[in-house]
Amino acid sequence: MSGAHFEYEPFSDLDLPLAARLGQFPRQPDLLYDSTRAIARRLTASFVRLQFRIEVEGSVPDVPRLALMPNHQSHLDTLAILAVLPERFRRRLTVLAARDYFFERSAGALAANLLGQCVAFDRSTEIAELRRWARLLPTIEAGWFLVYPSGSRRRLQPHEGLARVLARSGWTVLPVALAGTAEAWPVGRALWHPFRTLRVTFGEPIVDATGRDLPAELLAFWTAHGQLDASRQPDGPPACAAHPGRDPREP
Amino acid sequence: MSLDRLADDPLLFYTLATLAAVVVTTGLIAVLRIPGAWVSFRTWFVILPIALGAMWLGQGAWTVLVAVVSVLAFKEYAKVTGLYRQTLFVLLVYGAIATQNAFAFLGRYDVFMAIPTWAVLAMALVPIVLRRTEGMLQWYALAIVGTIFFGYFLAHLSYLYGSSKGLGYLLFVLLMTQLNDALQYFYGKAFGRHHWTPISPNKTVEGSVLAAATIVLLTFLQAPIAFPWVPPWGVLVAGLIVTIGGQVGDLTMANVKRNAGVKDFGTLLPGHGGLTDRLNSLMVTAPAFAHIMGYLFGGFPT
Repeated sequence: MSGAHFEYEPFSDLDLPLAARLGQFPRQPDLLYDSTRAIARRLTASFVRLQFRIEVEGSVPDVPRLALMPNHQSHLDTLAILAVLPERFRRRLTVLAARDYFFERSAGALAANLLGQCVAFDRSTEIAELRRWARLLPTIEAGWFLVYPSGSRRRLQPHEGLARVLARSGWTVLPVALAGTAEAWPVGRALWHPFRTLRVTFGEPIVDATGRDLPAELLAFWTAHGQLDASRQPDGPPACAAHPGRDPREP
Repeated sequence: MSLDRLADDPLLFYTLATLAAVVVTTGLIAVLRIPGAWVSFRTWFVILPIALGAMWLGQGAWTVLVAVVSVLAFKEYAKVTGLYRQTLFVLLVYGAIATQNAFAFLGRYDVFMAIPTWAVLAMALVPIVLRRTEGMLQWYALAIVGTIFFGYFLAHLSYLYGSSKGLGYLLFVLLMTQLNDALQYFYGKAFGRHHWTPISPNKTVEGSVLAAATIVLLTFLQAPIAFPWVPPWGVLVAGLIVTIGGQVGDLTMANVKRNAGVKDFGTLLPGHGGLTDRLNSLMVTAPAFAHIMGYLFGGFPT
């Protein structure tokens, strides 16, 4: 006689503190946070659209694996992109945010995760973290990521890092150029300036990045369509934990 | 403040007794420098104000607290067993917990006792609605255990608050169950030599027996205030329910942990583990105490 055995599969995040649980990817299902995030992202998108006039150029392809790669100059960047995406696209999106900036404390992690759909990217162990993502991405059938290849609001130059890992893992890269966000919510300010005009430009999708200079293409697109802050150095060193001199607290 | 006043107001008595116990224990830990004791003890500085504060605010606040804590504890159990991936079962258990506590608040004993029946019947529909068989018996069984232990059993804490003479019962069972857990642990650490169950290898004969003796003694000391109408043999029964029931609850949830291969249900309460690690004894002592004492001496519907 055969017996049916119960098989227990405890969640892997049982021992993690709240901030770490919120920052993990893949996310473990959580009725409370998942439902709160679903409500919060709609409210946040509506709030951002009420606060700012957002012009949109280009379109977003409806593909299962997409990596949006915008220039980064403000906390508003993520919110602006989330605000212009339709809900069916918005809910697919996972934003990679610096663990050392957003996921050290529970309050910051809650805000980043629930309002910005962020998960943590560990810049302090960047090589190991990139390897982890390189192992993880091929196991994911579908998903949209928003990554900032420059790694910091104070840098312009994209570096290969995760952008290359995503492209090599079969993700379609979508260059995105943002303008106006740096003026609407400058680095170092606690609050934003409302009622400014923002512009989000979606470029042509790069389906196969093999043999292409992805950082150069992204920078060219951002320079052509984004409003880049001239005080920053486009040719400066890549914002990467592997490069000394970067302020680790700069997202 | 006269003793008569304390005898008329079990909440005041237990609040003062708890404060005194906290002060004494803090002093003992400071003087004896027991390793690791402070980590678990300081968690009580959060638990006690929340629990006693809700009681002082009234039955509504207490019921909401019990419901919220039950939901959070069930979530831990569901994540440990993997049941949490079965959203429909989880939502039905959440619904059962909320309904159970709502009718405890309203004092509707008839509905209160019927809710587990309806919850289990509703859960029987899940495999039918989902048109699935694989693993469904496991999820159904785990959801029923969740409904009974986290919904029905724990909701007795809500019901006791509103029962005639129930507040003394509630405070007694709540605080003595927690003390029983702590005493077992400390007596076991100090004198424990003989382990008596593989389900929870830290449990010792010495810890369990000494804790039982202390709880029974303390029950006789506080019975004149907690339940003055209960005769001495009833006081002995009350003490035994807490100390034996506490162990049964502890071992029941320890069994779940052993099967799932985890040490604790969570990390919410530093030094204790998860909420379920703190509530496991109460899951058995609360209903057992309410029904046995209610049947024998009144103070809870039978």
